[in-house]
Amino acid sequence: MATDVLVVATEASNDGLARAATEAIGAGARLAGALGGELWVLAPAGVAASEAAELGAGRVYTYAPGAEVLSTVTEAAQLSSSRIIVVNRGAIGLDVAARLAARLSGGCVLGVTDVIVQGDDIEAIAAIYGGAARAQFRFVNAGPRVISLAPGAGEPPARQQGRTTEVVHIEAAGDARVRVMEPAKAAEGPRLEDAAVVVSGGRGLRDGENYGLIRELAGALGGMPGASRAIVDDGWAKPAEQVGLTGKIVTPDVYFAAGISGASQHMAGCSNARAIVAINTDATAPIFRYAHFGIVGDCLELLPELIRVAKERAASG
Amino acid sequence: MAMHIVVAAKQVLDPEGVNSYALWGRLTVDETQRSFTVGDVIPRIINAYDEQAMEAALRIRDSGVDCRITALTVGGGAATDVLKRCLAMGAEDAVHVDDTESDRADGFRTAALLAAAVRKMGDVDLVLCGRQGSDYDQGTVPGVLAELLDAALVTVAADVRATEDGVQVVRVTPQGLETVEATLPAVVSVSNEIGVARAPSARGMLDARRKKPAVYDSAELLTGAGGGVEVVRVFVPDVQGHCEMIEGDTPAERASRLLDALAKAGVLGGH
Ligand SMILES: Cc1cc2nc3c(=O)[nH]c(=O)nc-3n(C[C@H](O)[C@H](O)[C@H](O)COP(=O)(O)OP(=O)(O)OC[C@H]3O[C@@H](n4cnc5c(N)ncnc54)[C@H](O)[C@@H]3O)c2cc1C
Ligand SMILES: Nc1ncnc2c1ncn2[C@@H]1O[C@H](COP(=O)(O)O)[C@@H](O)[C@H]1O
Repeated sequence: MATDVLVVATEASNDGLARAATEAIGAGARLAGALGGELWVLAPAGVAASEAAELGAGRVYTYAPGAEVLSTVTEAAQLSSSRIIVVNRGAIGLDVAARLAARLSGGCVLGVTDVIVQGDDIEAIAAIYGGAARAQFRFVNAGPRVISLAPGAGEPPARQQGRTTEVVHIEAAGDARVRVMEPAKAAEGPRLEDAAVVVSGGRGLRDGENYGLIRELAGALGGMPGASRAIVDDGWAKPAEQVGLTGKIVTPDVYFAAGISGASQHMAGCSNARAIVAINTDATAPIFRYAHFGIVGDCLELLPELIRVAKERAASG
Repeated sequence: MAMHIVVAAKQVLDPEGVNSYALWGRLTVDETQRSFTVGDVIPRIINAYDEQAMEAALRIRDSGVDCRITALTVGGGAATDVLKRCLAMGAEDAVHVDDTESDRADGFRTAALLAAAVRKMGDVDLVLCGRQGSDYDQGTVPGVLAELLDAALVTVAADVRATEDGVQVVRVTPQGLETVEATLPAVVSVSNEIGVARAPSARGMLDARRKKPAVYDSAELLTGAGGGVEVVRVFVPDVQGHCEMIEGDTPAERASRLLDALAKAGVLGGH
């Protein structure tokens, strides 16, 4: 029996699908291939939907931006009768994935790092304890297997420019029980998630004022500042700057971790950086296990030097 | 009538403990392959987000709303510790759904038990959960619970207030803070952005000692399966490190060597 896969790709802007969505489509395509089924994609109508077609969707289900997501996804799942549903990572994981599974008498696993195909079924391996360990889950019900991926768990498929496909528009009823009174103001300016360089600081900065060094180095390198949760909790940095399991997921070319121990919950937000630089006084700090480049030393001595050299090079650049 | 708030709280292995055992290679798996051998060494604590859900409930009371707070947990005997914590913080009542199923990985089964317990209480207006358990990091219980109770769901709350006829919640979204209003009954999951939970007072701890949680039997509550997923095995992933150490006599030297190395690796500005 062929098993069809529906990818729920809601992470998108006016420019098209976000990385979280294209990774989910990649993982969905791989699963559909392995299970001999079709790949369906649900995406917001417009640029994102055309992009989904170019990424290989057999059919694209669309919805108007602002439509209620749970009923839209439920309808797409039913129309496509997909046995496997890959929901892109993001807010929708906590908000929709489990409810969808409950509604359709299935099961749900979030934070999936790997999917194992067994016959015509799957098992999902998920990051647990903030990424310190993994659990392999099996689904016990007949209903859909709903999964949401950990960052980097899917590879975006190659784009076939100009490819089109059948489009089915979904008009679902809203949920009157929850009303948005004041929407989030779309953050202005560049986003941490998209930055090519992220410079983060942790408790090793010793004092809130020293977070200024992090901002300055980030500025000098044309990047953005980030933080461990410890110093967000201490009020040294803003919640929007937190990197990690419960903060931002960043995928820069280079990630600086200054005075950060490297707890798995922090690494969950940055381990997909192309290069990780650790600066820590403790040579045995866990961060050095993840880092590609390391300096054992005091970040309060190194950051001013890095700022100076970076500025010099930018000026002579 | 007083608003009845239920706080659903879960007992978890201290995630910081699991973390350090994993890092030092001492997080081993028992013969069932489904749990860690350190279960007895690492302390079991109240899931921190659930403590913050309790804090959210107390803030609703502090704001002057006439309310009754019941702490609710599903678990084995030891799980009553989390109820004691909630009572000491200021909950009036506690309910223990006694469930020997040692593994709390199946949020669907847990949610079915919680829903049945909430129905048995009868008059619940608001269920506050944590955004996710710091054990399996799933966060599936609040959603399934809302579905089973046919209640409104609001996730990842940074602030929860009672209004005339519902709740007003400030949610943390990737785009920033969003304010929503939900009708009752509602399930709201609380995130760390709400701030640090208060410590129990000495008086609270004394009071808590005198209170006995009501015990509900899981077999009576749960007719039918109610499960959704099952853990086949747990394991610790390899963290493959190969870190190039940057040496140098002075911080200045190391700083410029580091930036050279990054430029050479092609990850930092071509200049
Ligand atoms: C459920 C849950 C979710 C979590 N989510 C997140 C999350 O999203 N993001 C996150 O970051 N954390 C998260 N955490 C917390 C995480 O487990 C760690 O506690 C936190 O990341 C530690 O922050 P830190 O590295 O800044 O501080 P510490 O662990 O205190 O480390 C400070 C480091 O600085 C070094 N140091 C000290 N002085 C200097 C100096 N002068 N120069 C250089 N180095 C120095 C020390 O050797 C040490 O390694 C979460 C925890 C839980 C339980
Ligand atoms: N065994 C349990 N008893 C009471 N509440 C629970 C239990 N498991 C989960 N919850 C609640 O559901 C939230 C999310 O948990 P989880 O879905 O397990 O990640 C927790 O923060 C608790 O508020």
